[in-house]
Amino acid sequence: MVPDIQYSMQQSQQALSAALQQVSTGLRVNQPSDDPAAAANMVSSLAESANVDQYTRNVSFVLPQMQTADSAISAVVTSLSSAVTLGTSGASGTDSAANRQALASQTAGLLSSVISQANTTFQGAYVFGGLSSSTPPFVPASSSFTSTQGSVLIPLTATLPLTAGSVTTVSDAATGKTFEFTVIAGEDISSLSTAIEEAASTGTLSAGTTATINANGQLSIGTNSSSAGIVVHSNDPALGSMSATPGTEVANAYAYVGQSNVNSVQVGDSMSIATNIPGDRLFTSGANVIGSLNGLINALQSGTSDQIGAASSAVSAALNYVSQQRVPLDNNISQMNDQESYLGQEKVTLSTQQSALVGVNLADAATNLSQAELTNSAVLAAAAKVIPQTLLDYLK
Amino acid sequence: MASLSTSLLTAVQALVADTGALQVTNNNIANASTPGYSRQVAILQEAAPTEDGSSSVGNGVVLEGYQSVRDELVQAQIQQETQAQSGANAQLASMQQIQPTFTTSTQDIGTEMSAMFSSFSSLSTNPASTSEGEAVLTAGQNLATAFNTASNTLTSQQAGLNTQVTQDVSQINKLTQQIAALNPQIAQLNATGQDGGTVQDQENQLVLSLSALTSVAVTQTDNGETLTTGNGTPLVVGSQSFALQSTTGSNGMQHVLDHNGADITASLTTGDLGGTIQTRDQTVSGLLGQLDTLANQFGSAINAAQAKGFNQSGTAGQNFFNIPSTVAGSAASISVAITAPTQIASSSDGTAGSNGNLANLSAVQTTALPAGQTPGDTYASLVYQVGSLTSNANAESGATTASLLQLNDQLSSVSGVSIDEESTNLITFQTAYQAAARVVSTVQELFSITLAMGTAAAE
Repeated sequence: MVPDIQYSMQQSQQALSAALQQVSTGLRVNQPSDDPAAAANMVSSLAESANVDQYTRNVSFVLPQMQTADSAISAVVTSLSSAVTLGTSGASGTDSAANRQALASQTAGLLSSVISQANTTFQGAYVFGGLSSSTPPFVPASSSFTSTQGSVLIPLTATLPLTAGSVTTVSDAATGKTFEFTVIAGEDISSLSTAIEEAASTGTLSAGTTATINANGQLSIGTNSSSAGIVVHSNDPALGSMSATPGTEVANAYAYVGQSNVNSVQVGDSMSIATNIPGDRLFTSGANVIGSLNGLINALQSGTSDQIGAASSAVSAALNYVSQQRVPLDNNISQMNDQESYLGQEKVTLSTQQSALVGVNLADAATNLSQAELTNSAVLAAAAKVIPQTLLDYLK
Repeated sequence: MASLSTSLLTAVQALVADTGALQVTNNNIANASTPGYSRQVAILQEAAPTEDGSSSVGNGVVLEGYQSVRDELVQAQIQQETQAQSGANAQLASMQQIQPTFTTSTQDIGTEMSAMFSSFSSLSTNPASTSEGEAVLTAGQNLATAFNTASNTLTSQQAGLNTQVTQDVSQINKLTQQIAALNPQIAQLNATGQDGGTVQDQENQLVLSLSALTSVAVTQTDNGETLTTGNGTPLVVGSQSFALQSTTGSNGMQHVLDHNGADITASLTTGDLGGTIQTRDQTVSGLLGQLDTLANQFGSAINAAQAKGFNQSGTAGQNFFNIPSTVAGSAASISVAITAPTQIASSSDGTAGSNGNLANLSAVQTTALPAGQTPGDTYASLVYQVGSLTSNANAESGATTASLLQLNDQLSSVSGVSIDEESTNLITFQTAYQAAARVVSTVQELFSITLAMGTAAAE
């Protein structure tokens, strides 16, 4: 009988401690053996929760950046509207030359405001720089750039080999495009010249863009466009860095030196969103915003009424273009707001699922505990009554 | 013809028989709590009657001897159930130590794995950020450590079980020697038609201890009990015991050999030794194999994703994790190969600022490994197995405990000492003794009267 009583006591004590653990931890499953299937499901559910948390953080990261971009575009739209007004006024033909100059300088002010919006940063990153978010995407252009290498003593020659893998880029303010030349082993300066001429003939660069060796023996890349300019970068040690030839800066001309590609960030299991907008798509391609403003300034400074009218039509077209480009961004912003609240709900759903998997209903747990206490006391009381009882108690 | 002296003899025999019965009762009460003791009863028999013409007169009682009350069938069932219980307990003890490593915590593999994928996603918002890159490295190191820890738990458990095998074997050898020493004594008692009594109780107790260690089959023979392991390897035959040996096998684990040197490791399935070997070679080994496969395939998948991209300076991605060329040992030795955040291949084409390849790294989370499931699901299935193995071992241990309790109840209702019953016997035999003594004194009085009759006639 004693082993039976001991067994009953062990069982009821185990039940008691299990009930106590459930109440104190609030969990039904404290270790995998408590419910192997629930424990395995928890692994997946927790991984999903971690993803939802991360998606939420990503949305919080992307959303303000998109809102910054949106307000910058909005400011650009305002500037363009003002420019259209100035252009219309300049085209009326009633203004004096002095007035037109005043309008031109006001327009130049609007352009620099557009450029500052186009170079907007969010937490140190240039919003319209594409992948290159660490340097300003829009920089002043010059009509000519010369290489560091090639002093009088060691002049560069057309047959000088270039460094394989190095990259030279020419960004054109007039076309809004960037020509990129990556050196393949065996290519020399003449290969670069040929490639640039080809780019000029296909329209990537303005017609007349050339790369030649100048009188000092330096490589000179230049354009003959008087109103627009270029920006040249090179990481080829054979050329050295390219810098603007002094005195060739083109007023009111800016080239896009950012990237055309953008990063995407995952904000849902099957949903990614671009973190930034390449500035060339917004401001220099299509109806070229910066180019049209530049054209209007030139026309106001020295053009006829017709030319001013045409230039302000171009600005007006650019205004429409930017407004159109803003639509997908606004859609994305509202999508992100929706996604943020969806993720919030998803988090709640997952928490509910998790507490259903491993949690314990506190009312049930408390009832179980008091039941277990009762059983345990009953077992102990029964043991106390039964163990000492033998026939000897009744023999006199 | 009945006479006074016959009556006196009958009474004396009764006194002797009752004293014997009282002694048995006394012994039973004394051994009420002795483990393995089988209650004894005095065998009382009628003495052959005296034939007197047409009538026959009883000649009292004879104490034939003592008999232990046994139930060999229940005894054998208890031995079997003890084997099953010890096997389950061996597995349960190991699994209970393994289980916490696979319990959801801040440091288990599942949590560290999702932390790593979160860090990839976080880096994608700012691929050039050193701090986000450091977070990826830290997450990778934490995951590698989680794999190392889990593998270490399993291998140290295996090493502990391995030591247990050696200890069990030496314990088994001691027990079989003791049983072999008792066998001739029992054979001798049985040969003279006597009950094995105390010696048999001792042997049963030793066989029960042996059952807790390994699977034992018991056969009763004229030379005492013959014991073999489950697959027929002899342990005890008559007065001879056959020692098992343990030796280090090619896999570094202890193997069990029979007295001829044949490897019987795989055939041992129950008892502590069987449970220990099964847990070591099947359960823990299986879990370790799966863990190694997961670590190896996960590491390879991340490395392959790294190789698809470039770092922020345009260098092609190098291995993220160091993993051994063989799957075995992968979980124990996996470590982070890259040393700086700049070595993370976040860029898809080598462009600075690009995060394109982080999508490939993140995709490892949702892509099935060669083993067939995603890394998270593979780990979840491992957790399920650990939980299920522990819970099954627990259930089996509980079931065998309950069943043993019942069998022991059954045995004790036959062989156990009931104080109540012995108290009753005590009273019965005491009364019988008193009555027999009364007969003696009555006969004595009758003798006195008879003698007095003679004296009175002489006077």
